[in-house]
Amino acid sequence: MGKQIKIAITLVIVGGLLTTAAFLMAFYTAEVQTFGFATLNKAVDTVYPLAPANMQPTDGSINYQRPGFAQKIFYFHVPIAEASFLVFTIAGIFAVLFLRKRRKSYDTKSRIAMETALIFVIATMLTGDIWTRASWGVWWEWEPRLTTYLIMMLLMIAYFVLRNSIEDEERRATYSAVFAIVAWIDAPISFFITRLIPSTHPIVFKSGMAPSILIPFIIAQVGMLMIGYAIFVLRVGEEDLRTRLDISKEALEG
Amino acid sequence: MAQSNDYVMERKPKEKKPETPSKIKVSNWRQFKAIIRKDIVMEMRTKEMITSMGLYALLVLVIYYIALSQAGQGFDFTRIAAGLLFLAIIFTSLLGLNRSLVHEQDQGCLEALLLAPIDRPIIFLGKAVGNFIFLCIVEVFIVPIFYFLFLGGGALAQSGPWWMLVVAILVGSVGIAGAGTLMATMSVNTRGKDFILAVMFVPVMFPLLLIIVTAMTSVIVANPGYVASFWQQIAGAVVFDVVMVGVGYVLYDFVLGA
Repeated sequence: MGKQIKIAITLVIVGGLLTTAAFLMAFYTAEVQTFGFATLNKAVDTVYPLAPANMQPTDGSINYQRPGFAQKIFYFHVPIAEASFLVFTIAGIFAVLFLRKRRKSYDTKSRIAMETALIFVIATMLTGDIWTRASWGVWWEWEPRLTTYLIMMLLMIAYFVLRNSIEDEERRATYSAVFAIVAWIDAPISFFITRLIPSTHPIVFKSGMAPSILIPFIIAQVGMLMIGYAIFVLRVGEEDLRTRLDISKEALEG
Repeated sequence: MAQSNDYVMERKPKEKKPETPSKIKVSNWRQFKAIIRKDIVMEMRTKEMITSMGLYALLVLVIYYIALSQAGQGFDFTRIAAGLLFLAIIFTSLLGLNRSLVHEQDQGCLEALLLAPIDRPIIFLGKAVGNFIFLCIVEVFIVPIFYFLFLGGGALAQSGPWWMLVVAILVGSVGIAGAGTLMATMSVNTRGKDFILAVMFVPVMFPLLLIIVTAMTSVIVANPGYVASFWQQIAGAVVFDVVMVGVGYVLYDFVLGA
């Protein structure tokens, strides 16, 4: 176990360095996108100027110019969001494993993966909100991706509410595994919805990216995954120590 | 009990089905019918679920009037009618789902069902269909009342055929009954009961409700080309229903076994 913890600590450091490197690259080497447009269905209170008349859509919605600077959050928001989907999926896989094998460790791992996913989801919401305000001029827009992602966050919170309201250990493990699987159904919906329904949310990877953008993005993505994995392993280790402490306490008392 | 870090949680041994002689073997279909009949007979004797759900739904509709009383003349109610209707349905169904499983729990019926040599998925289907029937009965009451209170006087003169709205409501109710039965069975065994049910049920149902309300509104408003978009939405809702009922069918065994 000790070796794994050491690897995890190394990964936290390496992941931190990589995301920092991506941060610097995003500002210094990445191609600057000075011009971008946001389409909203209504006039909003925004400090940004209207787009030129020849760039305005004909369907009555309004195009705003958005500053290129806001685009930099792409290098953090997207890696964190993708990590959140991945970790959520891992929580679902451990839930399925628990129901099949009924080992306690799978339940613990599923819960910890869910915790990690919730951290990433909250970070995604925060970075996304900053960008939404800068780019669309509003803090929140009820559009498909944002809505389904908010629902995903609520489902994860419901998972912990459910866990805390059950005393019996076996029942808690089973119910939360079942609910994790039901909740996971929202993840593919949220992930693919921008490709299915017309949505204001940008779709990454639809068109190719310039190498100067792609490289810092990949570095940030790898760094985020390392941090996610390390949080997961460290939390599992902590949980393990806690159980051992409880057992020793019990042995001393009894 | 000494605990190690990792151990296999003992699952209560699955009761071996008693070897029944083939002539008294009960078919799955008859077991399924018996569970539904039990629910209906109990409801006919107590009339508790239908009255409480119906009255609750009526009260929700009355409260809607408070919100709408200040809306003014130019307000286009048809665009939010479907959403308001489903709001009433979802809260009513929360009440009903909780009731239907609390009954089972209080009077020890769930244990008796587990002791009986019935496959667990059959219990799920029986309970889900029972809940679906009760939900439909309540809808038969509240949808016309909703119409008379809010949409009378030719508000629907421009809209598409009414049977499309019925299809949408039925597809939505299947999802509510399927996923709701699974989650209500979990929530009756927790400390929070109906609160936990609401916390789990509302986000899980959200995508379905959004699709159904979009579909119904497209019929009510009836812009050109609404028929195609309606069937598209309904197809999406049916996929969601199938996934939810399938997940419930597979996982109910674990929920009851815990």
